[in-house]
Amino acid sequence: MEQLPLAATGAELSVWSLFWQAGWVVKLVMIGLLGASVWTWAIVFDKVVAFTRMRSALDRFEQVFWSGQSLEDLYRTLADRSTTGMGAIFVAAMREWKKSFEKGAKSPIGLQTRIDKAMDLALTREMERLESRLGFLATIGSAAPFIGLFGTVVGIMTSFQAIAGSKSTNLAVVAPGIAEALLATAIGLLAAIPAVIAYNKLSSDVAKLGSRMEGFADEFSAILSRQIDEKVAPRAAA
Amino acid sequence: MRGSVATSVAMHAVLLGLGLISLSSPRSMDASVESVSVDIVPVEEVAQVQMGDKKAPMSEKPAPTPTTRPDTVPDAQKVGDNEMDTDKPLVPDAKPKPVESAQAPKPQPKPEEPVKKEEVQKVEEPKPVPATEVAQAEQPKQEVAPDPAKVPEQKPEPVKEAEQKPAELSEQKVAEAQPQTTDSIAETVAESKPVEEQVKLPDSVPAPAAKPRPPEAQTAKAPDRKASEQPAKEASSKPKAEDSEFNEDEVAALLSKEKTAGGGAKRSSQTASLGGRQNQGAKLSRGEEDALREQLSGCWTIPAGAEGGDGLRVKVAFNVDSSGKLEGRPRVEESSGNRAFDQSAIRAVQICDQQGLQLPAGKADVWAEIAVNFDPSAMF
Repeated sequence: MEQLPLAATGAELSVWSLFWQAGWVVKLVMIGLLGASVWTWAIVFDKVVAFTRMRSALDRFEQVFWSGQSLEDLYRTLADRSTTGMGAIFVAAMREWKKSFEKGAKSPIGLQTRIDKAMDLALTREMERLESRLGFLATIGSAAPFIGLFGTVVGIMTSFQAIAGSKSTNLAVVAPGIAEALLATAIGLLAAIPAVIAYNKLSSDVAKLGSRMEGFADEFSAILSRQIDEKVAPRAAA
Repeated sequence: MRGSVATSVAMHAVLLGLGLISLSSPRSMDASVESVSVDIVPVEEVAQVQMGDKKAPMSEKPAPTPTTRPDTVPDAQKVGDNEMDTDKPLVPDAKPKPVESAQAPKPQPKPEEPVKKEEVQKVEEPKPVPATEVAQAEQPKQEVAPDPAKVPEQKPEPVKEAEQKPAELSEQKVAEAQPQTTDSIAETVAESKPVEEQVKLPDSVPAPAAKPRPPEAQTAKAPDRKASEQPAKEASSKPKAEDSEFNEDEVAALLSKEKTAGGGAKRSSQTASLGGRQNQGAKLSRGEEDALREQLSGCWTIPAGAEGGDGLRVKVAFNVDSSGKLEGRPRVEESSGNRAFDQSAIRAVQICDQQGLQLPAGKADVWAEIAVNFDPSAMF
């Protein structure tokens, strides 16, 4: 007596064959999710590198800034270079200070306000640069499971339609279709989980860097305001 | 940014590659665990023992009931060992026939022998071929039957005549009027014969050996029965046609040649097989239990004051003999503690016994001893 094969031998269950057996909607969803995952990881790598650089840059700048070096010298060395982080804020503030003093500004209050504005602007720009593309991580983190689920639902729908057509309720007939449909959810989760973790980590890093830069901006603003008072008072006295 | 994208792509490619290798077709589960089908078997199927014969051989299935020979009732309408009871028309035993046949052969030889001799002479005359006399004498003997019809033109019924002669010629008319049933039959038989015989007249001369049949007809048994069955059949089939309901079983019963006797579907002709000494293990069904409870509650008058009493419950046991009558006095097995209440339960059983306790037939061993819980809340 010949033995009948238990499961349909035609249905391979490796990940690759599951992908190829899927319908085009499910395939599209899977490919999209795979692309999202690639982009997510690209952003993560990029941000991790950028933040590490930023942190070291901040450390170096603070070291130089508090080393007692003359602010004029520091400005002169930094002005020609493209600067990031605190350097950019310092340069923006110093540029405004220079412009106002060289042209002989009358009101110290107006000068103070202008310098603050310039520093705020620089700070915002820096923050923007740090935060850029983090939104994508957030989107992937929240939407990828749904997209994967959509692929699964579509896949299961089509596989159930196929089952209805074949008029067999054997589990061996039902299983491959469901397995390939579930692959979409698996890929969705695979993209979403790192995205969520990375988003939380990177956004907290951004917040830390931002507060550090804000702190510097406030401190520098205080220093400059003192300088303005010192420079305006003799002039008023004179 | 470009570098990190490249890194990410590379990482995914590596991971997918690893996944394709390590996550390839998972080993299929081997279904080594076999499912076990479970049947629910009622206890009675195993515990029930049917009465059998100790000496009988083992057989696969016990006889439905121990067999006894059914009495042959004269006016029975059932046939024994049938799947279903159907009334079979009463087949009257052909009692007059043996008398007739016994009478017939005797007178026959007397009138025939002379005829025979005539016949022999007739035969001898045309045939010049001399044959041994012995052979020729034997030949006509077989022709005996047709001859009487052939030769005499005065009467078509030689048989009848033979029959009537020993009786009385004068009685002929009376006999025709009185025993219509037997004689009319005989007449019909006899009447059909001469017609045949008259046709045979011309060619009957040479071949006498070919006709051994007529003597058979003379015994009148086979044709007689047919004749007697026919009117019966017609009579029974007429009301059925009016019913316009076709019942296969009835048709089968009509067609069957079996004699009606006592018994019917209740009787089995299967041999008894090895079994217990008596039927046991049977149980009263729920419906039978309910019927018994219904009867008893109908006979029960709860003493005043105990109607609303909760927790009053008495268990009464009593024996019933095989005819369904109470044996001895019912006894209280578990008293309720209330004497009047206990007594009312005992009285209920006795009243029911006087009215006639209806118990399921065929379960005598089950209800030989009955214990009933009298509980006002459960019985009403």
